[in-house]
Amino acid sequence: MAKQSSKEIFSLGVWSDNPVFRQLIGICSALAVTNSLTNSLIMGLGLTFVTALSSFTISAIRQFTPKHIRMMVQVLIIAAYVIIVDIFLKAYYPEFSKTLGAYVGLIITNCIIMGRAEAFAQKNKPWPSFLDGIANGIGYSAVLLFIAFFRELMGFGTLFGFQILGDWWTSWTIMIMPPSAFFLLAIVIWITHNIQHRNEKSEVAKS
Amino acid sequence: MKKTFWYPIVFMSLLTAIFTFVLAFLEVSTADKVAENQRYDLQTKILYVFDIPVEDTSVDAVDRLFSDKITEDGDEFIYKEGDSIEGYAFPVAGSGLWGGIVGYVGISEDYSTLLGLTFITQSETPGLGGRIEEEEFLSQFRNLDVADATEGNYVVYNPSPGGNVDAIAGATLTSKSVANFMNVDIHKFITERKGE
Repeated sequence: MAKQSSKEIFSLGVWSDNPVFRQLIGICSALAVTNSLTNSLIMGLGLTFVTALSSFTISAIRQFTPKHIRMMVQVLIIAAYVIIVDIFLKAYYPEFSKTLGAYVGLIITNCIIMGRAEAFAQKNKPWPSFLDGIANGIGYSAVLLFIAFFRELMGFGTLFGFQILGDWWTSWTIMIMPPSAFFLLAIVIWITHNIQHRNEKSEVAKS
Repeated sequence: MKKTFWYPIVFMSLLTAIFTFVLAFLEVSTADKVAENQRYDLQTKILYVFDIPVEDTSVDAVDRLFSDKITEDGDEFIYKEGDSIEGYAFPVAGSGLWGGIVGYVGISEDYSTLLGLTFITQSETPGLGGRIEEEEFLSQFRNLDVADATEGNYVVYNPSPGGNVDAIAGATLTSKSVANFMNVDIHKFITERKGE
């Protein structure tokens, strides 16, 4: 695999190869926590932390890892970092630990982390793997925050828990319920696909 | 060397040992903090159930106020003002729409009035069933007269005859379930106590 610069890693992870709207992975948690911006932010930070550090660790020991047990090794490393996030939240941010509850533990099953470990960290040096984890974490968080912005604003009339819309606003109950996440994610994919498609076309036309 | 039979086993065992050690270390070093958070959370909620005003919300002050007024008795709490018992708090639990709900109900010493209600665990839909944790719903149980309740119907939603509490609009199942398990558990507590 050709060496990629940090800039390329970031543009791939955040935009052109974005895990959520381009690769369509890690969607379950993206749907579950996005009815509040605060929860989405914490989830995004947690996932970025886990992806970056697990990619780093997996890459650092990749030359010593026997190929046929690499999945076991990856899951072990990912699980360890997720438990660290869980312990950290429990001890220092009990409020978030309570509201996010099971979702923090479910970071383990987030395909993005395993995906990056397999697709990138296995073949690259630790530092680029770390950056790749950060980039994908940002890509994931950006989509979550975008969806959460609309769900929280229309569902509760608030942003980060602060009242934004006045009494005249009738909260859309559907925005708090799971289905709205599907509608909004579909809209995000639609928009980003169109933009990316247009860019690709104009590049083809140029050459 | 990687191809030998023993290498993967040793490698995996070593890696597992290292990570287990790190996690165990973190767990032990934060155990006190976690326990303190949980105790603080429970204490503030029990104080809330008995409607005891908390002026200083720091951990130490809450702990002092709590041990000053409340004694634990198994899974129940007894609220004493001086030497006279003012009320009891006991757990109520049942299943909600998505998962288990656990809460505490405070009742006056003569079992005639509910002093308050709080929930410590619930996983209902945020903004719908989740609103059982909001003051608007909980405050309805503050000083709720249950002396005339018949057949174990302590909590009855309006507009049913004898209704004394408003359900949460849009969260019928959660509301119903809360009333049901509260009625069962309150009835059990009162009959057991009165039978003593």
